Amino acid sequence: MQVVSLRSDAHTDAEPVSGRKSSGVDSAAAMIEIDHVSQRFQTSGKQSHLALSDINLTIEDGAFVSILGPSGCGKSTLLYIVGGFVQPTDGVAKVKGKAITGPGPDRGPVFQEFALFPWKNVLGNVMYGLRQQGVKRAEAEARGRKLLEMVGLKGYENFYPKELSGGMKQRVAIARTLAYDPAVLLMDEPFGALDAHTRTRLQNDLLDIWDRQRKTVLFVTHSVEEAVYLSDKVIVMSRSPGSIKQIVDIDLPRPRKRADLLLDARFQKYIVDIEKMIDDGGKDHL
Amino acid sequence: MTVRGVLKTLSPLFACIGLLCVWQIASLRLDTESSPTALEAIKAIPSILGDKGSLLNILDSIRRMAIGLVLAVMFAIPLGLLMGRIKAVAAFFNPLMMIIYPVPKAALMPIIMLWMGVGDVSKILVIFLGVSLPIIYHAFQGSKAVEEKMLWSGAAMGMSAPMRMLRIVLPAALPEILTGCRTGLVLALITMITSEMIARQSGAGNILFNSLDMAQYDTVFAMILIIGAMGIVFDAAFEKLRLSLVRWSQPRDDMPLSFT
Repeated sequence: MQVVSLRSDAHTDAEPVSGRKSSGVDSAAAMIEIDHVSQRFQTSGKQSHLALSDINLTIEDGAFVSILGPSGCGKSTLLYIVGGFVQPTDGVAKVKGKAITGPGPDRGPVFQEFALFPWKNVLGNVMYGLRQQGVKRAEAEARGRKLLEMVGLKGYENFYPKELSGGMKQRVAIARTLAYDPAVLLMDEPFGALDAHTRTRLQNDLLDIWDRQRKTVLFVTHSVEEAVYLSDKVIVMSRSPGSIKQIVDIDLPRPRKRADLLLDARFQKYIVDIEKMIDDGGKDHL
Repeated sequence: MTVRGVLKTLSPLFACIGLLCVWQIASLRLDTESSPTALEAIKAIPSILGDKGSLLNILDSIRRMAIGLVLAVMFAIPLGLLMGRIKAVAAFFNPLMMIIYPVPKAALMPIIMLWMGVGDVSKILVIFLGVSLPIIYHAFQGSKAVEEKMLWSGAAMGMSAPMRMLRIVLPAALPEILTGCRTGLVLALITMITSEMIARQSGAGNILFNSLDMAQYDTVFAMILIIGAMGIVFDAAFEKLRLSLVRWSQPRDDMPLSFT
């Protein structure tokens, strides 16, 4: 395995990339390794559909990595494989060097659909994971309240999910996942169902939280701007079959301010370049 | 309370009084012996409820109904939930249910009586059969509809499959399950009366048919009123319980279909 963390067999331009933390990290710092992973789904009749074809990828500890691509490129499937929710047809996915056999509290998902427990109030949702793991009520409650304050929901502890807006629901979902302190955050188009304004605010808040906790984040999105704004690396995927087209290192200073970046020529160039890659991919398959 | 509020609270009462008035007028017009007026029927109620034997009979009916209902709930909810989540369980039980579903459960009563006599066991079994199916069906629907991502979230928290069943599928499906239980409750009452009309030994259904045999038509109609009132009270009480359990799932401006 290369020292460098990301490579793509299918394409040549996986140039050596240096990690955000330091260059020359050894392979022990790899949080997630995806080794020749393919995923085939049976469709109606006897046909099968190759959703992911021979994906190779290494994500280092503490990195913010986005997976970007058109719908149907298998980007969510790749995330579900890392989550252990879907078993790959071929290949191995590893977290901290161990093969993934199922879901576990070291990998916390956040879904576009929020997937909150509607029968629990906000605090109850955030405490749920801790209570299931046998943490005492008082301790779980204290941690829950702290997290709700962090995601800006102080005062909403006793609200039920149906009484919240989409943005607030997603804040609860993020707090619920952070509560059991996973090493990896798996975010599946988490802001996809939100309006533009709420989306921007949640992006900023997510960056704040990430700055404090430095968890490894795997972030699936179809918004180029969102991927560039948030990430250290953007993995551009193409479809039919789902494969990695290119990996782009986002070399922009942190902490990032949206207002500054929008005027930044480098930021704009990243977006234009990546959009072109996706467009080319589209032509290939039309 | 505003005038509109008072009207809203009293409207179920008005509906009942209206129905009784129509009955009263119609029976006065008909004027046959087999159609007592509403007032005559109502007047016969105290004598039924005042009679120790009748009262014990009615309580006996309620006891059987409760046993059948509780057994059905305990059997149907786990089965329905498992069917909704595990394909093999659904594949096994679905055809069985489809066969039993259209058969009127009371039609099984003669066979069951043949095997188990006319006592409690037969009646409770028929109630159990009648009530189980709607609860299985609703538990199945509710469990099938549980968002996969909700279960994934639970799995990521480290919850095992049986834990997810108990702590995620069951509460998430509870509104649907309780809808099934509400149907089941009324069906239990109906099957209870029917079973007693067939296996005539004791109970409310037996009082009704005995009075019919003896041409005590006011008692017949009074019994129908009593049974109807029982249904209303059970349903209203259950609806109160249901709302307290699943308030989190209720839309804000719900139009209730009950007397609560």
